[in-house]
Amino acid sequence: MATTIRRLIIGLGWLLLAMIISLPVIGVLIGIWPGRFASVDALIDNLPLFLNYNGLGPSILYSMLASLVAPLVGFYVAFSVYTQYRFRPSWQTMERRLAPFLSLPHLAVALGLVYLFSAGGLIELGLGRKSITTLILAITVKEVPFFLFVISAIDRQIPVKKWLLQGRALGYSESASWWLLVFPLVLKQSKLALFAAMAYTLSVLDVSLLVGPNIPSVFSVLVYQWQTGFSERDLSFAFWANLTLIIMLGVSIFCLYIHQWISIRLFRYLAVMASPLVMLSKLSRLALAWFPLFSALSLGIILLFLLRSVGFWSGETYSLTLWQEEWLFVQQPLFNSLYTGLASGLIGIICALIALELQRQYRYFFADYIWLAAILLPQLSVVYGWQLAHTWINGSYSLIWVLVSHIPFVFAYSYLVLKGPFQSLGDEFELVARSFGYSYWQGWWRIRFMLLRPAILSAFAIGFSVSIAQYIPTLMIGAGRFPSITTEAVAIASGRDLNLTSLYMLLQSGLPMLIFIVAILFASRIDGKSHAIS
Amino acid sequence: MSAASYQRKLSFLLIVLALFFCTIQHASAKLDESADKWQNTLSVARGQTVFFYAWGGSKPINDYLRWASRQILTEYGVRLKHVKVADISEAVSRLKAEDGKKSAIDLVWINGENFAFLKQHQLLLGNLWEYIPNTRLLATDVLPLDADFGVKMDGFEVPWGVGQFNFIVSKAMASATSVTAESLLNLAKTHPQQLSYPRPPEFHGSTFLKQLLVELSNQDERLFKPATNKSKAELLPKFWAYLDKLHPFLWQQGEAFPSSSSEQMLLFQQRQLLLTVSFNPNQLHRDIAANAIPADSSLMYFEQGSITNSHNLAIPKGAPSKEGAKIVINFLLSERAQKRKLEGEWGDPSVISELQNTDSSLPSQQELHSSWQQVIEDAWQQRYGA
Amino acid sequence: MLSVKQCRITHSEWQIVLPDIQVEPSELLVVTGPSGVGKSTFLHWLLGETVSHVDITGSILVDGKSVETKTIEKRRIGMLMQEIHLFPHLDVIQNICFALPKTQELRKKQARVERARKLLSEIGLSHLEDRYPQQLSGGEKARIGLIRALANQPKVMLLDEPFAALDPNTRNKVSQWAIKTLDNQQIPTIMISHDLEDIPASAQRLEFSHYYTGEKA
Repeated sequence: MATTIRRLIIGLGWLLLAMIISLPVIGVLIGIWPGRFASVDALIDNLPLFLNYNGLGPSILYSMLASLVAPLVGFYVAFSVYTQYRFRPSWQTMERRLAPFLSLPHLAVALGLVYLFSAGGLIELGLGRKSITTLILAITVKEVPFFLFVISAIDRQIPVKKWLLQGRALGYSESASWWLLVFPLVLKQSKLALFAAMAYTLSVLDVSLLVGPNIPSVFSVLVYQWQTGFSERDLSFAFWANLTLIIMLGVSIFCLYIHQWISIRLFRYLAVMASPLVMLSKLSRLALAWFPLFSALSLGIILLFLLRSVGFWSGETYSLTLWQEEWLFVQQPLFNSLYTGLASGLIGIICALIALELQRQYRYFFADYIWLAAILLPQLSVVYGWQLAHTWINGSYSLIWVLVSHIPFVFAYSYLVLKGPFQSLGDEFELVARSFGYSYWQGWWRIRFMLLRPAILSAFAIGFSVSIAQYIPTLMIGAGRFPSITTEAVAIASGRDLNLTSLYMLLQSGLPMLIFIVAILFASRIDGKSHAIS
Repeated sequence: MSAASYQRKLSFLLIVLALFFCTIQHASAKLDESADKWQNTLSVARGQTVFFYAWGGSKPINDYLRWASRQILTEYGVRLKHVKVADISEAVSRLKAEDGKKSAIDLVWINGENFAFLKQHQLLLGNLWEYIPNTRLLATDVLPLDADFGVKMDGFEVPWGVGQFNFIVSKAMASATSVTAESLLNLAKTHPQQLSYPRPPEFHGSTFLKQLLVELSNQDERLFKPATNKSKAELLPKFWAYLDKLHPFLWQQGEAFPSSSSEQMLLFQQRQLLLTVSFNPNQLHRDIAANAIPADSSLMYFEQGSITNSHNLAIPKGAPSKEGAKIVINFLLSERAQKRKLEGEWGDPSVISELQNTDSSLPSQQELHSSWQQVIEDAWQQRYGA
Repeated sequence: MLSVKQCRITHSEWQIVLPDIQVEPSELLVVTGPSGVGKSTFLHWLLGETVSHVDITGSILVDGKSVETKTIEKRRIGMLMQEIHLFPHLDVIQNICFALPKTQELRKKQARVERARKLLSEIGLSHLEDRYPQQLSGGEKARIGLIRALANQPKVMLLDEPFAALDPNTRNKVSQWAIKTLDNQQIPTIMISHDLEDIPASAQRLEFSHYYTGEKA
């Protein structure tokens, strides 16, 4: 009887996971077809035209370049910063300061960079107004705190301090020990986060439009143009472009695997050769500059938006009129976002834990791209497919369906944050608990879950902010019945009123900021208790 | 006169009279009928909620719609909900997905190729002009309101406001209020790197190109008919030659363009560009009043006339609150609503006869046939896009 | 009392057929043998874990009752591994409380904490009660690990070289103390060891290599 129930529960768990990961796949399969608006013949006839589209090649190259450089540079910078700050007293302060930056939308960061550093900005650094460099820079800057957050979640599960001690006992500098001993493991466990950042860069639209080059445009802009076009030609192009995008994703994933393979072998070789890594250590020291720079930048951006939102540059005096006028109208969207974020964040965490636990029991971990399907596939096609299906089944425009449309994305991010910590925690603790008479699930809850709390909090915060950031699913599935702070903010940002845009971007960042601060505070409290002296 | 002939005359008169009365009665019955119908619409609409998909990027417009929804609720008991979208193609994409079945959209703000697509695929409700009383107020005699980018409206959409392509220019460059292709080139030469236009196929950018094409081909009448290979071969070379000359003097030497009119405005505000583009001739004054741009900025438009088009309202075929949507359109066309739109923060030119004044409108230039837009955009991409 | 009968450890290349084993209360069985012959796996099998790499068959009786079909938590067998595995998120008292059985007299939190304190003071480590495992020395960890295991009142105790990592001086002290404590509590114990010096003469010995066959039988 007990085993039947157990099997039933396990079966249900797998079913749930199958549903979550098949949703994006089903979405893209339905959504990629132009339906009755373009025939198969038109698709085929337009293929040569698509291939001859002026600038297609450079466009693809730009996107590929950005999608590989931004995440990798972001990751290396984040790791260097981590090595420099991890054992400094300022680390906790810094961790807390990650919160605002993590919660600012990418567009806000790009806008801030342009405002602060481009020609005509407050501080002229000669940052190209529209170029691939600026695009890569904007994304990289935004990814560094994300990677720091991910690395710190991984770090909590490995005895870094002991390893470094070993390294130093063998005569390596602390910095060299970080790179030789810790880096390979962290790189491996950050693989999913790299995938996510890569897929994001490949498909990002708003930032590309603002600071990306447009002679030619990056690929995501082309895809969007075609996908929102109407002629048979546009729709056929959109079909081929989406296929190309999926291939590009595949190639990028492959490149990231290759990078990991080379990088780990390189550091293994350096370890075998007992290389002191003097150069790299010196370079890592540069990362010390990151904290002040980053603090200044995030402060600058927030201040800029705050001043804008009180009309600092558009009148003799500033006033709270804008806040007062809008406040009445943003409450509902803010609450909608909060509920959706909390609910989908929670469900995302639960599903990620179910996915990891079932794979652990099954003693086989499925390929990562399966779990990350929602992040990797082109979102516009996926959600368009959902919208079609949602219409077919006459679904309501309610919180439930909006949640369903958020969960695949939230789940994927929760999974990528949790996987490393979950896997690196061995079975022994639970074994000990069971020898004391605790059942499997009691042991799981009281030991595994409790030990994973910091990582779970991180995953929840990331999941929550991912849910808050969803524009397309919220609008397309909620059909305007469910305005969120992001649907409002994105619509506002499409206009030219910078004061109002600033206000909405601040509001949009507010909720995730709150959750990140809570998560970081709780996580460091849990850590503080068990790492009191170490 | 014989009795017979008198009788004949009398019966003729009677028939005429009868016919006359019949006609009158018929006409008044027809009037009554449509009034009845509207009364019916009013009562059915009460209590309905109208989901209005409209671009949400402008505070004046959002505020205007907030005002309108308060009025409509108190006067008609209809709830108007503005669904803010970043790009109206998001609404079109939903209508595509619904394919005429029950829709989440009751009312949509569109024009141009969005309308052409929805009309072509029969996704819109027809006969709007017949049903909605205030369409009689439309200034059809002064404004080109029967077609939308060369596509006949045919009652599938109702004009709401008018757009006229114009520039807002900085004092540094304001030599005249009107500009020609030639004077624009000279301005570009004297102010190198400080002029630009949104990258086609962005709406404003494409319109800028159309303005140039119209002028450079002396308003050739073939531009208002479908483009043929012959007309393309004859009309375009001069146009490309002009752009070849212009581009090296543009911002970033024409190696990057603003992605949107909003971005061009941002660059204008940052003083990177001396000119920005707009479809609202009253934009200049609103922006100055809001301190968004320097007070000495001025308006500039093409001498041969500003390309003029309307932006419109349409009801999807599957809209659940069709009656409510008609009430909303009727209200938005009312003199009160149009007046507030024109004179309030938004400053959008009116479409009704009562509010046509020459002060706020520019000399107008007819839209090109829509086929030319595609031709220009494709060829532009081919020549300058990479 | 623990007895193991007809135990057979089968690897793809070799096999060990063990003689029947009987460990009485207060008795100690020391398992020796070269590494890689499945000593550790044998203990994990006794504990009830699903073992990989090798196949183990045989019957296990605790106090005369067969336990093979029972799950780990039902066997009441305690084990101390090479790594002590004190729970890092709990302090010393909480670690011990975690292991205390849920009996009628230990129902209330107060009673549990008091019992844990008492166990700790008996070995003179009261001053460590609110420390976290990361703050303990190796010897302290080992002793608290054993106290924790005993707090659970197991019917059998398995020691998988728990003291191997300690420095020789501490190791001797701790392992003698452990053996004495287990003896006092009358718990049948199996211990894996490489170091035969400090094993009491009374202990039984089982050398795995004596029962090793290169080929499958």
